[in-house]
Amino acid sequence: MEMTIQIKINQMTIAVSEGQFVLEVARNAGFDIPSLCHHDAVEPIGACRICLVEQKIGHESVLTTACNLVVQEGMEIFTDSAEIRAHRAANLELLLARAPGSKKLRELASKYGINEPRHPPIQDNYPKDCILCELCVRVCSNLGHKALAVLGRGDRKRIGLPFNQPSETCVGCGSCRSVCPTDCIFMRDTPETRTIWGKTHRFVTCKQCSAPIMTYEHRAFAVANNGLGEDYYDVCESCKQVAASRRFASVVW
Amino acid sequence: MSANPANKLQPADDLPRLSGDVVLSASREPVAHTAKVLAINPRNCTGCRTCEVTCSFVHSTAGRLGRSHIRIHPQGNDRFVQITCLQCSNAACASVCPMQALSREPATGAIIVDPNRCVGCALCEAACPFGHMHFDGESRKAIKCDLCAGNPACAHFCPHKALEWR
Repeated sequence: MEMTIQIKINQMTIAVSEGQFVLEVARNAGFDIPSLCHHDAVEPIGACRICLVEQKIGHESVLTTACNLVVQEGMEIFTDSAEIRAHRAANLELLLARAPGSKKLRELASKYGINEPRHPPIQDNYPKDCILCELCVRVCSNLGHKALAVLGRGDRKRIGLPFNQPSETCVGCGSCRSVCPTDCIFMRDTPETRTIWGKTHRFVTCKQCSAPIMTYEHRAFAVANNGLGEDYYDVCESCKQVAASRRFASVVW
Repeated sequence: MSANPANKLQPADDLPRLSGDVVLSASREPVAHTAKVLAINPRNCTGCRTCEVTCSFVHSTAGRLGRSHIRIHPQGNDRFVQITCLQCSNAACASVCPMQALSREPATGAIIVDPNRCVGCALCEAACPFGHMHFDGESRKAIKCDLCAGNPACAHFCPHKALEWR
């Protein structure tokens, strides 16, 4: 049975259910907490450190990431104190050294008063502008492909293919690129192929107009795991619209 | 679910009819929790594309026609068919979504995308038998007709009652 418990966010009492995270509770209540590595579809890991909130425990307060902080009875949270803003700004400055080219990151940083980062950009960051939030890794593994991994430790940590070997499980769906908060994953589409993570995938093309639909590997994975047959994926969006409109017309007139 | 996508489109006998014209819906069973449906009547459509313009203004800030969730398809010289999301009762898009980001909104009966759960794999776009799931290149997420949260702008502005919310 779900238990209802009460917590205080910015001195507002909110009833929440057990097991929820502070970030989702606070956002549902209308408090704006910025985050980069959070995505509802995957487990939170608190990697980007931008969703920091202040938790009051007695006379003391601790800073902790809201995305993976589970609510507890009587918890007192502050989401936008001066101290939090200072810590978020410091973290943003550090992230900017990793990803000076990220527009989203720079916009967020300017909200915290950082227009010129103090730290010089890290030179050998690959993929360029990667902030190591691991969102792509988590999403890829949640999708069932498990093509990406965190390589190395310490200052050599980076995101890539396991053991730097060409991936056998990457299907070229492009989800990693879609979710990347700093837009650092390279993907290039041509009418016939998609190149991502050093591998070139061939597109399934529309039976009627030969427009690209999805990669062959992605289709094979979807047919095997998502329940619809291959015939759902062989005509492109606009040709399907035209076919549907003709069928509509044949029923009406 | 039928294997042939074309078989999924059938005139819905159990939906109200507009002055003898056929009202089309993808689902034979009307969605139980809503009284209203977006009724499409191509016989009244003059191809003025007001619905396309309205939809693109509602769903994008600059009113880009490419962002419209409804499309007019001319059939010969004076016949037009409007195609939009049919909110299928057994929807292909929702069934393939690996992140369960697509769900039916109880209030309106629309299948809506949860942008916080969508990871942008574009599988739903490839799977929709009617070509009405779209992938937004800007946000890199799926976008679709959400029936404007219960007051579809296309039906509101259609001057010829070719689209009706009733």
